[in-house]
Amino acid sequence: MNSPAAFLPLVTIVVGALAVLLLEVTLKKENKNYLGYISLAFLAGSGGLCVRFWNGAYSFFNQSLYLDNLALLFFLLFSLAGGLVILLSLKYIADQEANHGEFYALLLLALSGMMVMASSPDLLVIFLGLEVLSVSSYALAGLRRKDTKSSEAALKYFLLGSFASAFLVLGLAFLYGAGRSLVISNIIDYFQADSAQKELGLIGLALVLIGFAFKIALVPFHMWTPDVYEGAPTPITAFFSVGPKAAGFSVLLRIFLDFWGASAETQLVFWVLWTLSVLTMIVGNLVALRQTNVKRILAYSSIAHAGYILVAVLAGDQTSLVFYLAAYLFMNVGAFAALIAMTRKGREYAELEDFSGIGFQYPWIGGTFSVFLISLAGFPPTAGFLAKFYVFSAAVRAGLVPLVVIGVLASLISVFYYLRIIVYMYMREPSPEREAVLIDQENPALFLVLFFCLYGVLQLGIFPGNILTIIRMAVSLL
Amino acid sequence: MTHWPLLSIITFLPLAGAILLIFLPSEKKNMLRGSALFMTVITFAISLLLYFHFDATTAAPQFEEKSAWLGYGISYHLGIDGISLYLVLLTTFLLPIAVLSSWTYIEKRIKEYLIFLLLLETGIIGVFVSLNLFLFYVFWEAMLIPMYFLIGVWGGPRRIYATLKFVLMTMFGSLLMLVAIFVLYVYYYRATGIYSFNILDHYQLLLNPGVQAWLFLAFALAFAIKVPMFPFHTWLPDAHVEAPTAGSVLLAAVLLKMGTYGFLRFALPLFPDAVDRFLPLLVGLSLIGIIYGGLMALIQKDVKSLVAYSSVSHMGLIMLAVFALNVEGIEGAIYQMLNHGLSTGALFLIVGILYERAHTRLIKDFGGVSRQMPVFAAFFLVCMLSSVGLPGLNGFVGEVLCLFGVFRVSPLQAVFAVTTVILAAAYLLWMYQRVMHGPITNEKVKTFKDMNRREIIYLVPIVVMMFWMGIYPQTFLRKMDTSVVHLLNHIKSRERVFVQKTADEPARITDRAEEKPALPGESANPPKPEAKGGNLDE
Repeated sequence: MNSPAAFLPLVTIVVGALAVLLLEVTLKKENKNYLGYISLAFLAGSGGLCVRFWNGAYSFFNQSLYLDNLALLFFLLFSLAGGLVILLSLKYIADQEANHGEFYALLLLALSGMMVMASSPDLLVIFLGLEVLSVSSYALAGLRRKDTKSSEAALKYFLLGSFASAFLVLGLAFLYGAGRSLVISNIIDYFQADSAQKELGLIGLALVLIGFAFKIALVPFHMWTPDVYEGAPTPITAFFSVGPKAAGFSVLLRIFLDFWGASAETQLVFWVLWTLSVLTMIVGNLVALRQTNVKRILAYSSIAHAGYILVAVLAGDQTSLVFYLAAYLFMNVGAFAALIAMTRKGREYAELEDFSGIGFQYPWIGGTFSVFLISLAGFPPTAGFLAKFYVFSAAVRAGLVPLVVIGVLASLISVFYYLRIIVYMYMREPSPEREAVLIDQENPALFLVLFFCLYGVLQLGIFPGNILTIIRMAVSLL
Repeated sequence: MTHWPLLSIITFLPLAGAILLIFLPSEKKNMLRGSALFMTVITFAISLLLYFHFDATTAAPQFEEKSAWLGYGISYHLGIDGISLYLVLLTTFLLPIAVLSSWTYIEKRIKEYLIFLLLLETGIIGVFVSLNLFLFYVFWEAMLIPMYFLIGVWGGPRRIYATLKFVLMTMFGSLLMLVAIFVLYVYYYRATGIYSFNILDHYQLLLNPGVQAWLFLAFALAFAIKVPMFPFHTWLPDAHVEAPTAGSVLLAAVLLKMGTYGFLRFALPLFPDAVDRFLPLLVGLSLIGIIYGGLMALIQKDVKSLVAYSSVSHMGLIMLAVFALNVEGIEGAIYQMLNHGLSTGALFLIVGILYERAHTRLIKDFGGVSRQMPVFAAFFLVCMLSSVGLPGLNGFVGEVLCLFGVFRVSPLQAVFAVTTVILAAAYLLWMYQRVMHGPITNEKVKTFKDMNRREIIYLVPIVVMMFWMGIYPQTFLRKMDTSVVHLLNHIKSRERVFVQKTADEPARITDRAEEKPALPGESANPPKPEAKGGNLDE
């Protein structure tokens, strides 16, 4: 079955981006917020269409785009992330004098790139999506033009990102040269069969992996992350930490879903990924221990979380991977929302010291932020615990017990730095020398995001039944 | 009455109270205190129904509630037997006392304090009533968060260090236990083809001894940290000394029991072969704990840390009695768990009363207090003697049972174990003498007022229970007999329904194992938790 209409979720986003760009010219500066609402409407439309086309497997352009349930699920996840980030940005970018209409257009374009990545079985098309995502991201990171840190972030991201893209293209060339195809299923067959020139293919795969490892910030390809996360406008950081990561994992999921065969090459790839996962979990968490800036702590924590998600890839368990991404979306966007609530015009409060005593001063913000941190640390009954639970139990079922032991011990390290933020919020008095942090209580969009994320974290943590059913439906058709 | 979901009500009533408190105004302090007290008293009243409707003739879990939750073996499954019954009662009994003891002790942020206290109650009761390993783990971990806040926000000067140490050490053990739970789950699936976290199902599974050893070490580490047994006890004095009074009371009276309960409910019946193998090590650690804790208590300058170290010593005796693996030993251990909860809890309350007046806990700052506070002196004396184990009070019954049990296994062990009583008499009586008698050296003591009515109200029930448990223990022992005998039969018998063969089954287990080739990372051996659990050996 094939219907051109099924292409609409993706088209809606692109049309939305173009419409926002056109409208930007005609709108007055004070009315720029309308662009945000328009983008939200497009996102909602796209999400609605995803639901409409659920359970159909549509393919387009000679099967280079393939809309199965998993792709649609990722579309929904991306739209949700995009929507939450836009809600967070409405007031923030006006305060930070970065209220350009391009902001929303770029965000929508980045989303469309991610959607292409999640829905294509062809690595070349995936690369196209990745580039659309990357180029938009570079611009988004540098949106606070007057801020040197933001410019530094954009430049760093751009240089390192293009470098990684170059690796990816080179890898694709090798893969194509060796296997005569860039379609994922053909590549898997190529590696599992007794094919010629497997060394070439392996080099290609390694280079492709480097490209993706950069995007999802696996150690040792993570160096850009903290600087970019710190410099970028906070809502964009929230977006970076969940969006591109989810898109990258959607690709890895498809590549490695049926990849693990008995051949020596696949074993080698397995152990390489195993090592990357261990390094990511350990280094991400250890370095986070020494940070004093909460934005950077969250940056390193997002590196560590990529390590946990990679465990799910290694275990070959799609359900837990998608569930982890969903849980991570809620808890991380929520945590960043709390950070944004502390931002004032032209100045960010993100040092640990700034958090002294705010827990009791602002019980609602402090309370929800604590829930997100506790969830990130993996305490029950929150989404973070259940996500880790599913990932690690899948890994034990797959016989990866040593990896799981390393994983849980790494998450023990993470407990320390997440709880340290809570220590500052609740167990220290604000020092009199520092200027007091005033939290903006009049930002309804932000509070909406906070409560929505809180709801998500608790729903996924206590009664995830429906969502798990949906995820299982989506992956069972693969 | 019994067809009501009693256990769910008892578990979640405090949570409902906590949610209610969130919406009460934080200025109306007495209203907050009153509501918290009301909720805890109601919870206690309902939990008494458990006692009266408890059927002492069966070892099967009672008041069982089961409903599907997340699928794949994770279900909401509650139930109690003669072992957990009393621990639930102890918890609900102490919570109103904890609220009363914080009435004036906590002035700042009373609302949040009470919320965390109620959350803690839900977590603790949940641990004792869960029959599903997943649910148990959820409560086990979730209960750390309120305790973390209680110590960290309302504690003494070194509270942040103490609370982080408490959380991190406890989590270290429990995370490894989580891995062991996964492995157990996978083995159960391999043996039966059914996903189950149900602890009663797992009792039927006998793993091969090599696997048992690893899993046992992981479980035992988690519980040994919680008890705490000797090399893992270091968090305890810090946490106790820094915690606010109610925090210390609950920590000593109930939280430590989660460790011993874990041994009885999980570690011993699940891994009987491993228990045999590690018995000398565990017994050795318990004995070291007994003597070390007692000696450390002797030299403490701070009353509160003296009581904390006495806990290490007493918990050592309880563990030793558990490892005696006979009816006297285990019943004595359970009885002594309750006694320790009452008497140590009471001692912490007494220290709290002193601290509220003097704002110091150093023994040398006191002296002659009994002249100023005669009523207090009487209460203190009874609680102290209960902890020492004077005949006629509860401690005696428990200690005698424990020592009987130990003696039947090894008289030598019993000889060492008796030192706990001797040392307890030494450090407690000496402390009592220095604090309560002698000349008044500190002018401040002269301003002390005797206990007020609220303080008497919350100590009287404890003292009544001390006498009751000391004079007529049958009220309590009667209901645990069947369960204990059943537990012991279970540990001793190796006949299980499913005997797991692990050596010749390297296949990878997933829902789709048939369609998939083996994973390259899979080794020929069955999965084992790597050496991390082995810290017990050191």
